[in-house]
Amino acid sequence: MFAAIWHSSLPRVVPLGMAFLAIQKTLFVEIQPFGVIVQVVMAFAAAAGVVGGPERGAITGFVLGLIFDLSTGSPLGSTSIAMGVAGYAAGWLDVIRIDTNWWLAAIFVGVGSGIGEFLVPVIRRFVGEENAFTPDLATVIPVVAVSAAVLSLVLVPTARWALRIEPPVWKTPRE
Amino acid sequence: MLILLLTSIMLITIDLRGNALLDAARSGFDYAFRPFEVAADVVTQPVERIWVGVTQVDDLRAENEELRRQLDQQRADQISNQNALAENQELRALLNLDSLADLDKVPCTSIGVSASNDLQVVEIDCGSSDGVSEGMPVINQAGLVGRITRVYPETSVVMLITDLSYHVEVKIVSEAEPDDEVGPLSTSPSGFPLDSLPGIADDLSSTTSSSTTTTSPFFVTTTSSTTTTTLPATSTTSGLPGVVPGSGAVPGDITGTPTSSTSSTSTTTTSTLPPVTRETGVLDGYGEGSLPRVRLIDDSVQFGTIRIGDQILTTGGRNSLAPPNIPIGVVANIIDNPGVAGRQFEIQPGADINRLNSLLVLLYQPSTELGGG
Repeated sequence: MFAAIWHSSLPRVVPLGMAFLAIQKTLFVEIQPFGVIVQVVMAFAAAAGVVGGPERGAITGFVLGLIFDLSTGSPLGSTSIAMGVAGYAAGWLDVIRIDTNWWLAAIFVGVGSGIGEFLVPVIRRFVGEENAFTPDLATVIPVVAVSAAVLSLVLVPTARWALRIEPPVWKTPRE
Repeated sequence: MLILLLTSIMLITIDLRGNALLDAARSGFDYAFRPFEVAADVVTQPVERIWVGVTQVDDLRAENEELRRQLDQQRADQISNQNALAENQELRALLNLDSLADLDKVPCTSIGVSASNDLQVVEIDCGSSDGVSEGMPVINQAGLVGRITRVYPETSVVMLITDLSYHVEVKIVSEAEPDDEVGPLSTSPSGFPLDSLPGIADDLSSTTSSSTTTTSPFFVTTTSSTTTTTLPATSTTSGLPGVVPGSGAVPGDITGTPTSSTSSTSTTTTSTLPPVTRETGVLDGYGEGSLPRVRLIDDSVQFGTIRIGDQILTTGGRNSLAPPNIPIGVVANIIDNPGVAGRQFEIQPGADINRLNSLLVLLYQPSTELGGG
């Protein structure tokens, strides 16, 4: 069992998730484009979906969400849903395209992160939070999506390493 | 995906009901995560400094100027405030009134803020080992900051008053307009020297020195029930200024401007506090970027008495999350909602929520957090 865990992606995903969360809690709390905290962990979940497909993206997002909830004190499992859906949604790129190029990956990471960020207040509303939807949501979601798309340039290769997925090999057709 | 969804829902349910195992997991994760956070803080600090240097230098200069001006102003006020505070504590002690000074406090420092765009929380370096527990109010020099929502052995999480989940009972303290009703005040024998109220004596803008009575626009009376303070010249005991017998009104709010009139011999002084109108309501957080709002409990109050700039204090009481008379802020905007929503008041917090550093946790346990409350 331990061998299975050791050879899974968890030993890489968990420390990486904690490192990205630490960066989010330090760097991106200070650097807030348009007053919005860039959701690095959410973007990482979406990037995992892009490189690993919907299922692996959802599982990675679930684990990252647990890390996020343990750190921030939000109800355990609430962010897991949002990040799981982010990974799942972004993972559809892997289904609809065989050859993924960087800009398409960036778009899907952005869209996945946007969906995940939108779900955060939805889930908070479900757990009994009043006034979960604030007017600044219209700013938060696009900024989170765009910043995730930009970060995907780094996060997609990182997610590929974390999930032990070989990078695509481009072969030149023989003349 | 469905399994993950169901697992998440199950975890949420268990966590919201309270579970010792999950709390222990949080505590353990806190220990494990600390090195990551410290390392990230060290590594990213140069980038943060460059960013702040590039984007905020003009704002910081302007703010520095403004802060220097405020510092000068506050130095001038400090002496008179200390005098008024000492006098207030003395009078409260005489009446056996609760005071914030009676509560133990734990000094803490903010060590992290929320990484979420939805949660308005900060992390502080005090935990259960310091006597901190869930529900305790957190303040700083400027007023109420929030309440403890999670406690770990060495750290705690503070939900700020701007969080969507934050609610606390408050009162709006509205002082009467200086020119509402101003009249000469009665006098009574007293040895209370006017010189002992520095700053206030300076505010006496319209003084009739040749008369036997001194009046000021700051000395306001509204009814004939104004009470006279009698302080014997050699005694520290006195009646409390502003107490209306039988009314239950106690001038516990030290921010009230004392009113007085003196005789020409300076041996006769009457002190009254300005009448205050208190409306009770509930303060609700409205998330980042929005000011907290107060909605009144009783919709039939005299709205006209509440104005921009009126003080907001906690009400205290058995079910309140905070002890009484902690300043929160001032009324910044009055919002007229159509329909049954009624009038709401946007509150400008006294504490700068975005720049919290030194905080105090009041070791006050609300009855609602004691279980069964």
